[in-house]
Amino acid sequence: MTPSDLSVPNAVETAALSHWYGDQPALQDLTLGISQGGVHAIVGRNGSGKTTLLRILTGFVQPSRGRCQLLGEDCRKLPAAVRGRVALVSDEHALPPWLSAEQLVGLQRASYPTWDQTLFDQIVDLFSSSPTQRVDQLSRGERAGLCLALALATRPQILLLDEPTLGLDVVASRAILEVLLLASEPPDRTVILCTHQMDEVERLADQLIILNRGRLVAASEPEAFRDRFSSWVAEGIPASSVGSVEGLVRCRTIDDQLHLVTVDRDPNLVEELRGLGATRVTRSALSLDRAIEAVLSQPGA
Amino acid sequence: MIEIVTGDSRPIFRQIVDGLRRQIAGGELPPGSRLPSVRGLAQQLRISLNTVAKAYAVLTNEGLIESRDRVGVFVCEPRQILSLEERQRRLEEAVSQFVNSTYSLGFDDDELIRQVEAGLEQYAAGHPNSGDPE
Repeated sequence: MTPSDLSVPNAVETAALSHWYGDQPALQDLTLGISQGGVHAIVGRNGSGKTTLLRILTGFVQPSRGRCQLLGEDCRKLPAAVRGRVALVSDEHALPPWLSAEQLVGLQRASYPTWDQTLFDQIVDLFSSSPTQRVDQLSRGERAGLCLALALATRPQILLLDEPTLGLDVVASRAILEVLLLASEPPDRTVILCTHQMDEVERLADQLIILNRGRLVAASEPEAFRDRFSSWVAEGIPASSVGSVEGLVRCRTIDDQLHLVTVDRDPNLVEELRGLGATRVTRSALSLDRAIEAVLSQPGA
Repeated sequence: MIEIVTGDSRPIFRQIVDGLRRQIAGGELPPGSRLPSVRGLAQQLRISLNTVAKAYAVLTNEGLIESRDRVGVFVCEPRQILSLEERQRRLEEAVSQFVNSTYSLGFDDDELIRQVEAGLEQYAAGHPNSGDPE
């Protein structure tokens, strides 16, 4: 008996999880725990392993190595009971093109005793498509809404979302955001949201997970992550003299001023920069998206 | 009406705290005013319930608002619940921010002081009781 049998298991638990496509690594030694409840945003550049992780979690892909559990069960052989409590909405919004929303509901509700038709109708209404329209007659936004409605109406305990607003116009994106806010309300539901939209992260996420090239870069509350960064403008010194500054993640010269971003640095960097010859130093806070960008754009990252 | 923006260096919950604090201090939200419910404000701003709850918790701890069971969230009568040390610390912080952001503007000290006095007068005009402790 493992400790997780005694207490509430994490929604997701991985240890040294690795996956390769051929000789191309997609996930490298990922050790991650995602507790139950709340919205957990996974952010990273294209090819950082986000989609692979979702596929492994749902059992569509067998990982090359390492441990991976969903609600305490091995993802390689998820019991039907756990599988029924998980919903995945992929970015492709792939649905059989010849079926209508009504027909899809007919198929879906048969396999889910928890099916919530009122919720389904409420969500589909936001996208104003008719239930008799075939999938191939729907716009991209309507199809995204339908996918989300089909997933949420099963009232999943774990909702996995892969870039739900990818390629959507401003109206459809806003409707999706409203559905996601609705989806995140039940306190016992865990939402795992892979996204490139920093606006979604700020509005929705309780926890921020950053992946880069298949590795875990950070996992914390978004504010705690942002608070680790500072932005500095220094005058009177060239970029070549700050190379050894500890915690430096970004350095640009704009109009003879040096614009720096640092991580985990205390305010005494002001004295350090003055010591290196800076005549004037100002410090400011960084927005969340700039902090994330700074981490992901590091050459060595 | 509170407005928030994403991509700002202030987190959303902090923007709500600052915005409501300013409206309460400025008299736009006098004591007894009813604030939107947590859910209502979350829907209005399109942000999570947790973010609004966190902002309301900060303001509740500062004694600016209170939640009355099943009735709603209200602006409190002004009272001083912060310790003298804490008030001094905040004053110093505010002064240091003020000096940092005005120092390079090129006004002389007398002009800065005159402007601050004018600002305080304007504020007091909207707050007949703000001069009286308790």
